Amino acid sequence: MSKASVIYDKFERHSHGQGLKGHATHYCPGCGHGLAHKYLAEAIDNLGIQDRTVAVSPVGCSVFLYYYFDVGNTQAAHGRAPAVALGHKFANPESVVISYQGDGDLASIGLAETIATAQLGAPITVIFVNNAIYGMTGGQMAPTTLMGQTSSTSPSGRDQYNGQPMKMAEIIAGLDGPVYVERVALFDAKQRIKAKKAIQKALKLQMEGRGYSFIEVLAECPTHLKMSPEETEKWVKECMEPVYPLGVKKDITVEPWFKRNAPMFKGEKILSLTGATTVHPERFCREFPKELDLHDVSLKLAGSGGDGAQTAAMLIARAAISEGFDATHIPSYGPESRGGTSYADVHVAETEVLNPGSPDPLILLAFNTPSLTKFGPAVRKGGYVIYDSSVVTEAPVLDPSIKVFGVPFTGIATDLGKAVVKNIVALGALQAATNIFPRETFLSAIRVALKDKCALIPLNEEAFAWGIKSVEALEQ
Amino acid sequence: MALKERPKPFLLPDFCKGCGRCLDACAKDCITLSDQINPVTGLVPVELDLTDCNACGMCMDACPEPYGLRPAHEGEIQDFELEDPAKLFGVKPSEAPEPVDIPNETLPLPRTEPLVIKGTYASAVGAILAGCRHVYGYPITPSTEGAELMAKFLPKLDGTFIQAVSEVAAVNMMYGTAGAGLPTMTFTSSPGFSLMLEGVSYMIGAELPGVFVDIMRGGPGLGNIAPEQSDIKLACHGLGHGNTQAIVLAPSTPQEMLDLTILAFDLSFKYRNPVVLLGDGYLGQMTGKVQLPETMLKPGIPKWAVYGDAMHRKNLISSIFLTEADLEAHNHHLNAKYAAMQVEARSESFLCDDAEVVLIACNTPARAAKGAVQDLRNQGIKAGLFRPITLWPFPVENLKAALKGASRMVVVEASAGQLEDEIRLALSKAGVRDFPEIESVRRMGGVLPQQNEIITRVLGRKEVLA
Repeated sequence: MSKASVIYDKFERHSHGQGLKGHATHYCPGCGHGLAHKYLAEAIDNLGIQDRTVAVSPVGCSVFLYYYFDVGNTQAAHGRAPAVALGHKFANPESVVISYQGDGDLASIGLAETIATAQLGAPITVIFVNNAIYGMTGGQMAPTTLMGQTSSTSPSGRDQYNGQPMKMAEIIAGLDGPVYVERVALFDAKQRIKAKKAIQKALKLQMEGRGYSFIEVLAECPTHLKMSPEETEKWVKECMEPVYPLGVKKDITVEPWFKRNAPMFKGEKILSLTGATTVHPERFCREFPKELDLHDVSLKLAGSGGDGAQTAAMLIARAAISEGFDATHIPSYGPESRGGTSYADVHVAETEVLNPGSPDPLILLAFNTPSLTKFGPAVRKGGYVIYDSSVVTEAPVLDPSIKVFGVPFTGIATDLGKAVVKNIVALGALQAATNIFPRETFLSAIRVALKDKCALIPLNEEAFAWGIKSVEALEQ
Repeated sequence: MALKERPKPFLLPDFCKGCGRCLDACAKDCITLSDQINPVTGLVPVELDLTDCNACGMCMDACPEPYGLRPAHEGEIQDFELEDPAKLFGVKPSEAPEPVDIPNETLPLPRTEPLVIKGTYASAVGAILAGCRHVYGYPITPSTEGAELMAKFLPKLDGTFIQAVSEVAAVNMMYGTAGAGLPTMTFTSSPGFSLMLEGVSYMIGAELPGVFVDIMRGGPGLGNIAPEQSDIKLACHGLGHGNTQAIVLAPSTPQEMLDLTILAFDLSFKYRNPVVLLGDGYLGQMTGKVQLPETMLKPGIPKWAVYGDAMHRKNLISSIFLTEADLEAHNHHLNAKYAAMQVEARSESFLCDDAEVVLIACNTPARAAKGAVQDLRNQGIKAGLFRPITLWPFPVENLKAALKGASRMVVVEASAGQLEDEIRLALSKAGVRDFPEIESVRRMGGVLPQQNEIITRVLGRKEVLA
């Protein structure tokens, strides 16, 4: 038997293998796909990779590649075969993955996937069958249709308003990712031998983990060119080849690089990545701060980007959770990547935060005037407002039941030599003003947060202490 | 060893389409086009006259048909001609082995202190604990942190994170990895999820598992990046073209972002179907207490996978069923799966037992509603919250129970009524005709319903009634 052993003995998937369909392809007489299939099958046989091969078939006439190839088969959405191929390749780096595509699939609807996958350079092999026409949908213009060539959607011939043919091999060869790009043809015995060799080489480069390979096959579609098979071969040679010159477009020597370990499933590694610990944190709270709220204390921290409102909010949430309470923190930012508004809603609840938003907070920590103006009036009666008196020059007029503390966060932090610790000054002030948690709770949360930057701990502790002192001074 | 004589070509005319590629290939002009139409194929095959044949083999190289021109030694040819093609070419389509399931392994984890992390991170950690090592995505606010965390963690676990060229590519990378039988996921947000739907339909058609975490934002169009429950309709009733359904999970806390992500992987493999996890922008960004589970999963390979090895060689991942009868049968099969998924309906009923006013909400609005219930209870109003955790299948039986003593039903949502539509459809399909008139608290455009708005709505109606 000369048939490649990778071709099924019987095509069960072709109309359930009934009648002639069990042993004949669905391709029209003279179609180039049959030969491209044959050379691909022979290459798989020669390289001994049948068991490792995953063939991704496209949408187009070769959608039924899986009728014929006795390998792992996947059928992809129109144009997406390279992305599907990558998904297979990364799932099993040992597999040999082939993305077999036609011109509509590869050069039109799937152009983004085609280019991006080629440039990614992971070792997969793309077999691109270019016959300058849409076959399966019935003879419409392809991205590779020649200028002047008629099709059902370019009935007077492709003209400038239809754009120009896509020279995919040249485009792909111009990218850095691929290691091997060649354009071959099928119209005579010499070209067929070259096509065979090219396909085998492309697969071999993949097997060796050297990189992405791309073979463009100029193929015949007698049916939609409305020519005899013989005339079509002549047409490919005389009309297509001048536009799509044959030959190697790129062939670089790259050492095998695609070597990936099997994914790791070690619990301790995952836990260490997430920062999870089995160490029970020390607790300092005797009970929930009921004098603030019976079950749920709501806070808002507001400033501009860089004030450290989010970090302070996170520290409050962490401190609460380390004490065994529940807590939430919702950040919100302006559209600016830097320097816009930066607000944080924080809740600390004895058992469960029901509603994590803080539209009417009990406690407002304001880092600038706009924040104080915006949120000050929303603070609940009997609540607390703590603001940066270094930047807010006029004390706000609020409900008399609200306790207001102006503390120079920025001034103190600058005096300490690092303006960025103003949020820690603010936390000190918050602690002293509200007694939400004991001092040690905050200090412990700060130390944990800085465990990888221990040198900064004394400065932050000092900033925290100054925040407390400032409030105490105000209270006296 | 004697040199074997090179084989000459042999052809069964039924398998020749008469393309004539072999005519030019033959230097000895042994091959001509017949002048007879083959009665079986309706095509005109070639005829061989091997008198001058030197067995160069060029004609066989030129023949595109696998069972067209083939080599045969002198003595064999006559035998072939008497054979039935099925016997001649073999009856067994493939010698590939029958694949079996390689089972998952559950591995223990020590009990750890709760993490304090945001919702998207919780989901990412959940996915890792569920055994996912292949994540594909495209950056889109407000879901990006999930992908960022994966980009950081996965290389350290010898996993794969690829930032795709688009959401379209991302979902198709998932299709490939899912086709290989491995857990895979993506993080996206509304406009990105829209773009993925083609792939979701293909995954459902090809019966592939995969988890889509959609951190919903304001729409339509580019909308904004603030939270909205804008994709409930899409996830429950619009997963691309065709007869598609998937289990849709709606977490409301960072803890549930983790728990339900783990559940999503489990369900997606159980049913060989994608699972959608709908969060809202707030939930994605919200930091909270997250307790890790005490086990994790090391995934096996299901028997249906195309892994790219000997064991799985016979498999095919495809959503094509060319014959109408086959496709109808496939749809019946999918419908049976959708029916089986109904048992996965989940919900939380909070103080519903004696509730006269039942609030219905999911995601972050459910938390505002929960706060409102507590507040209303403090004011002596018998309020309760019904929170669907699966939006599809909708937990309608639990809803019926929650509504037992209710005289009012208030749907709280950050959309123009997408949740309400699910409720109405579920009640209608369940044949429930008698339920309280649906009142609503709806916000859109990135604004979430607030606790005080809900309370005002409930109290406002009460005053009107009094």
